Parts: sequence; C-alpha cells; structure tokens
Amino acid sequence: MSGLGQEVGVAIVTGLLQGCVYALVALGIVLVFRASGVFNFAQAEFGTTGLFAAYAALTLWGWSYSWAIAFGLAVAVAMGLLTERLVVHPLRNASRVTVLVGTAGVALAAIGIQFWQFNETLIMTMPRIVDSFFLVPVIGAPVTVQQLITLGVLVVASLVLALFFRSPAGLTIQAAQQEPTAAELVGISVRRVSMLTWAMAALLGGLAGILSGPNLTFTAGFLSFGAGRALLPGFMAAVLAGMRSMPGAVAGGLTVGVVEQMGTLSFMIEVPGARAMLLFGFLLVVLMVKPHGIFVPRTAVAA
Amino acid sequence: MSLLEVRGLVVGYGPHPVLHEVEFDVEEGEVCVLLGLNGAGKSTTVNTIAGLLRPQSGEVRLDGRSLGRRSPSARVKQGISLCPEGRRVFPRLTVRQNLRLGAWSQRRSPRAVREQQDLVLDYFPRLVERADQLAGTLSGGEQQMLAVGRALMSRPRLLLIDEASLGLSPALATTVWEVTSRIRDGGTTVLMVEQNAGALPFADRALLMEKGTVLHTAVGEQIRNVNLREAYLGA
Repeated sequence: MSGLGQEVGVAIVTGLLQGCVYALVALGIVLVFRASGVFNFAQAEFGTTGLFAAYAALTLWGWSYSWAIAFGLAVAVAMGLLTERLVVHPLRNASRVTVLVGTAGVALAAIGIQFWQFNETLIMTMPRIVDSFFLVPVIGAPVTVQQLITLGVLVVASLVLALFFRSPAGLTIQAAQQEPTAAELVGISVRRVSMLTWAMAALLGGLAGILSGPNLTFTAGFLSFGAGRALLPGFMAAVLAGMRSMPGAVAGGLTVGVVEQMGTLSFMIEVPGARAMLLFGFLLVVLMVKPHGIFVPRTAVAA
Repeated sequence: MSLLEVRGLVVGYGPHPVLHEVEFDVEEGEVCVLLGLNGAGKSTTVNTIAGLLRPQSGEVRLDGRSLGRRSPSARVKQGISLCPEGRRVFPRLTVRQNLRLGAWSQRRSPRAVREQQDLVLDYFPRLVERADQLAGTLSGGEQQMLAVGRALMSRPRLLLIDEASLGLSPALATTVWEVTSRIRDGGTTVLMVEQNAGALPFADRALLMEKGTVLHTAVGEQIRNVNLREAYLGA
C-alpha cells in the first residue's frame, strides 16, 4: 500500500488509538452529566493532576511503576471527591451554569497548583509502561505498546461500567438523578451517590492522564489545553453521545480521534489549524443534522 | 402503646407554621385515612413522619421511641416507608428495576426481597405484565400501583401513602384503596392521605384535618357517621 490510501490507513489507526484517550475523558463527562446535569470542566484536569502525581512518585521519589499509577489514580479520585465536597455539593441548589463555572475554577486551580509544585521542571517526560512499538502489517502505522494498553484499559473500563450500571448499585445513580426525593425515600443516600459518581469520573480522568502522558512531554494543564489536550475532543465525543450514552461516549471518542487525524493527511498539512477545523466542522454538521447526537440509544435507559 | 404517635407537631416552610400542634395515634394493624382539603397540612404531616421535613417542635414516635431528626433512609430501615405525592416513580427505569430499588434498604437479604416482590406483584398483577416496561411509559393508575409497590418493597411496618387517588378514575382509585386492606392483613399498617372521601369505607380509623390541625378522629363504626360537612367546610 502506498500514497493516500496508506496515509488514510495510518490516520485511522492513529486516530482510533488517540480516540481511546478521548473516550476515557468522554465517559467521565457523560457519567457526571447524567448523574448531576453538570458539564464538568475539571474532567481533564483530574487526568493531568493524576499524571503529575504519578510522575512525581515514579521519577522524583523512585517508586515502582505500578505504585506510581496507583498513587496517581488515588490523587485523581481524591481530587474528584474534593470537587464534590467543596464545589458541587455547596452549589447543589445553584443553577447548573454556576456549577459549570465552579468546575472551570477547579480546573484552573489545579493548573495553578501544578505550576507551583513543579516550576523547576516546567517540561516533564515520563517513561512508558512498556517502551516499545511496532508497525501494523500492510498499513504500516506505528503503534506503541502504551497505546495498546490504553485501548485495553478502555475496553475493560467500558465493560465494567456497563456491568455496573446494570447492577443495583448502578441503578441507584440513575434513580438519584431521575427522582432524588423518591431515591431518598427508598433509602438511597443521594449524597453518597454523588460522591461515588465524582470518584468514578475522576478515576476515568486519571486513567486518561496517566496513560497518555508518557506519549509526549507534558506541562501543567496538559490534558486540558496542553500537548495532550483531550478536554474539547472529550466534550465533542460526549455531545455526539447526546451527553447520555456510555457506549456512545466510547464511539464518539474514537470517531473524534479519527476525524481529527484526517487533518494530518499530506494535502491537509499545509492548512493551518486543519485538525481543529475538521473537528469543529464535523461537530457542527452532526449537530445540524442530528441535534441530539448520533450515538444515542433509542431508550435513554441503556447504560 | 400505639405503633405511631404524633405529638404536638409544629412544621412550617417559613416563619408561619403549616401544622399547629398536630396530634394523633395510629394503631398497629389498621388502615388509617387522614382526610382533609387541599392545604390542610396532610402532605406536610406524612412528609414529616417520613423524615423529609424537620419539625420546629413536637415529635414523631414509633413503638414509643422518638424518631428525632433521623433521615428518611434511617426511617426506612426502621420500618416507615412513604409513597410520595405525585408517584415519583423512576421514569427511565423498568418496573422491575423500580421495585428492586424499593428494596434498597433490604439489599442484604435477597431472599426476603424476592418473597416481598412476589407479594407485591400478587397485590398488583398488572405490574407483572409491565415488568420490563419503562415506568415512565405506564398509565397513571399503573404508576400509582408501582409507587405503592415500590414503597412496600422495604417491608415496612408502617406504609404512608400520599393521595393515591389523585388523577385516577374512581374505579382505579377504588382498586388501589382495596389493596390497602390486603396490605394491612399482610401485616403492614397503612396511613393514607386523601382528599377524596371515597376512601373512608376502606378505613379502620379516620382523621379529619383542617388548617393544620386534626379536628376529629373516628374509629370503626363511627366512621360511617363522620360529618363530612365538618371536614370540608369547617364546623
């Protein structure tokens, strides 16, 4: 294979793998939105914060990789719970826009803390879990083992979420969102459900950050606005999923990844901002044709 | 000692109380109807018993023990379950899932939950046909049955039902009221709030409520002689 055909093939493979990160971010966004109607601007910073924590444990304190990952995820979850405690819960009776601004504040505060704590090493690199890559036969796309691990984590996370939402504990999240008073009346603690949701979303964000960080050098705000920006693509993926559907978030993430990579084709490369333009153009067209998103189940009940 | 004792209950949403020293008892093993007009304070009363509202003064006792400021979920575990006004079923969950969540407080005893579900479906056979349908797609009457059934899933000792008949046809309302006798015979005491005097024939005790106080109590045979004019128009 050669020429444009091969280029497109490489772009699709690369886009799907990059889309895995977007999908993880989108899953967290959809989870929180479904449970509390909040557009969570801090979702990507859960990831960067977890990444910084894992980086510190691994390279500065010399922990093993698995402990560093565990520590990074724990920090991300703690940040999710803190966000719930300090921003979301106190603003529970405020308008959703106010809460949205609150989560943007959390993201900016996190970026500030990252700059402050790591100002001596402004640009960081972190080794991959397994540092090797291979070429996909025929297409010739380079794939790192790190990307394959990310794909694997996405698959496992999606399956776990699907099973969880069919379990009684998963049903409580939906119940608390649909009828909070009735949920309290059957003995479901709506507050605990809220904390659980934010912890799960932060865990997903943490995974996205810790898995995608080692592919690039990173700085504060890495996953929101930095080299690994996944916040906007994640939002787009969530919007494609109608902000509701979990499988939709995964499909949306992969789609966004592929569409974005089309901007790297050789005839596009001369166009400044081709990737962003393609993404926004794609979203615009989708929303004009299907304003409720494309990866939306017929009944909103499907997890 | 009565199962439920309500003493000197003062409850309000602002500075002006809605309930003025409400007092009444409900005995174990009876169906009690709390009858009154819109705004009489009936919903406020049962919401306070269920723990959704905090009284300014007074108390609610179950088996002679004060429930204090316990949360609704703590009260469910103690055996008080409220079927709220407006049904409030979980619309995008199936009938089966709604029932299952009704037993959330009992989730550690799955066998008892299964038995209770069989009992509830025996009370409301219509729900069997609808088991896998989304609750939001049910008719008003079916949603009401589901709401009562869900409240029963926690195996309460005291079931509170807030305006089951609201928006239902007379025939459907009667169906729901008739089931309360079976629920009582199954060992659950029932306290239901009604504006509709049609519920009186199903009651073992009737409480007439007006302007935030219980004006009159009638038990057994007395219920037939309740002066409805007094209940609705004031003495």
